[in-house]
Amino acid sequence: MKILIVEDEEGLRESIEEYFTEAGNICETANNYQNALSKVSLYRYDCILLDITLPGGNGIDILKSLKENSHPDGVLIISAKNSLDDRLEGLNIGADDYLVKPFHLSELKARVSAIIRRKSYNGSNLLVFNEITIDLLAKDVKVGTTPVKLTRKEYALLLYFIANKGKVVSKNAIAEHLWGDGIDMANNFDFIYSHIKNIRKKLMEAGCNDYIQAAYGMGYKFTAQ
Amino acid sequence: MKLLTRYNRVNLITTIVVMLITGIIYYQAISYILTGQKDKDLVVEEQEVFDYVKLNHELPQTFESNDQQIIFTQVKPGSVQREFINTEYFEKDEGHKRHKAGGEYESGRGLISSVTVGNKYYKILIIVSKVETEDLIRIIFSITVGVILLLLLVLVVINRLILNRLWQPFYNIMNELRLFNIADTHEIPKLKTSIDEFNELNNTVVEMAAKAKLDYHDLKTFTENASHELLTPIAVINSKLDTLIQTENFSERQSKLLNDLYSAVSRLNRLNQSLLLLVKIENRLVHDKQQINLRELVEEMIMQFDEIFNDKELKLTYTLNDKEIHASRYLVEILLSNLISNAIRHNQHGGEIIINLDAESLTIQNTGDNEPLHDEKIFTRFHKSSGSEGSGLGLTISRQICENFGFKLEYLFEGSFHTFIVKF
Repeated sequence: MKILIVEDEEGLRESIEEYFTEAGNICETANNYQNALSKVSLYRYDCILLDITLPGGNGIDILKSLKENSHPDGVLIISAKNSLDDRLEGLNIGADDYLVKPFHLSELKARVSAIIRRKSYNGSNLLVFNEITIDLLAKDVKVGTTPVKLTRKEYALLLYFIANKGKVVSKNAIAEHLWGDGIDMANNFDFIYSHIKNIRKKLMEAGCNDYIQAAYGMGYKFTAQ
Repeated sequence: MKLLTRYNRVNLITTIVVMLITGIIYYQAISYILTGQKDKDLVVEEQEVFDYVKLNHELPQTFESNDQQIIFTQVKPGSVQREFINTEYFEKDEGHKRHKAGGEYESGRGLISSVTVGNKYYKILIIVSKVETEDLIRIIFSITVGVILLLLLVLVVINRLILNRLWQPFYNIMNELRLFNIADTHEIPKLKTSIDEFNELNNTVVEMAAKAKLDYHDLKTFTENASHELLTPIAVINSKLDTLIQTENFSERQSKLLNDLYSAVSRLNRLNQSLLLLVKIENRLVHDKQQINLRELVEEMIMQFDEIFNDKELKLTYTLNDKEIHASRYLVEILLSNLISNAIRHNQHGGEIIINLDAESLTIQNTGDNEPLHDEKIFTRFHKSSGSEGSGLGLTISRQICENFGFKLEYLFEGSFHTFIVKF
């Protein structure tokens, strides 16, 4: 997939680029308004990560120009403003999602994957990872042909892992993904462990390979190897 | 006591006292002058008696004239001292039958004097009636009293009518001050009055309010800007950490350090978010008011926290009745999440949480330290119980949210339960 990262903060831009660059992905970057505008008018992307406050202009205007030209690119707004009005404005103009800084790269990846999935599968709602098949509409999980019954949180966690396959996902990121960052349960990750244990058990009972690895006590890695 | 009442009271008392004193002085003066007049008449009469005695060497015949009697009494020589006295005057009354004694006593003024006729020594008593004088004094006194009463009446009425109206601007200013809220945009209006003092007061109040608002605004802008500026570096640290852990092959010691870094950054982030949220709530920048079924929202929250209840083996009991409120869903979720996560965080393993929702209030009770919390301090910013992992802003935010929607957030310690009540 082809991704454009519009972000003026160098450190953040580099991290995102590095995280998203993998086999089959092309990442391009823009560090200011002009740069971003010329890129989106010349090329099409599967997803554009769009910072709102940019040197030289407002990210919202880039979004507007995309929509005026009926470009189908997926847009995820990354903003430092956690304001409901901004969020609503962004989504009303046609952004696909809105993520507030600071965020975990794994969260960003999961959101981008969701956007691209919605855009590209066009009606098809099956997500396949090796022997695991997920029906995104019915929220059904099958290993081969064996259905697996997952709870809501386990299902969300599995999707999160698949979106971040091959990456180490920190416990912090998982906690915030599952419970939102409003719920402040820092340093108490025991219940994440029990979720992971359950998913692993359920998948393996259905005949699935064990894809989830613990990573040095910092997080987990979902990997095909 | 109202200024008006106080003023009226002082005014009335002074008026009455002054009037009374003037009345007395007035009375004394008039009565002194009139008595002096009578005394002169008496002296004239005495002189007539002396003249008569000198001329005729005998006492003059006593006769009753109008308002005047002369009585001669023979006494021991030298026993009479000349003096003026207040006495009674007996008015014979032939014309009127109503007096049984054939007359009446009136107050009179007398002169005791003496005269020697030949070798006889006589005491002279001349009495004149003072009835007209007294009548005069009475009339003057009545008029004075009348004037006093009239004056008082007028004063009271004027005070009531005029002063009330005069003070109106003052009450208006007071009212504006009462409505003054440093956080909202309503300005204290300029007042139209011709009274200098009130104009001055109004100007001062308007200036002061504007200055307070400006200062407050500056402070808020500072907090907001500071928090915003912090967001980017936190975002960078966060993303760098996420990138760092992808490099793999960490020793146990390194991963422990990374974990600590993660939790510190996440705490920093939450703290920052809380500050931003607080500014936003105080600025009333959250406008998504809607009808919310609080029962459903609480149920959702309880679901959200399910694992955490289980993890700490907390016993949760709840009774929820339907309750509709008109508020921001976003803020109410934060409120509930804050209160419930507090109840969990400050609970002991295997403790108890009771949640109750009815038409009047939402009550969240939890076991924990068996000691009441300081019920005002806990709502202040950055007040934390020892060992708390929180930002110290949770309850401040909660109370602010409640105030925003006209609710009240209170804390009680009831029979080993820490109780937070949201009163609608």
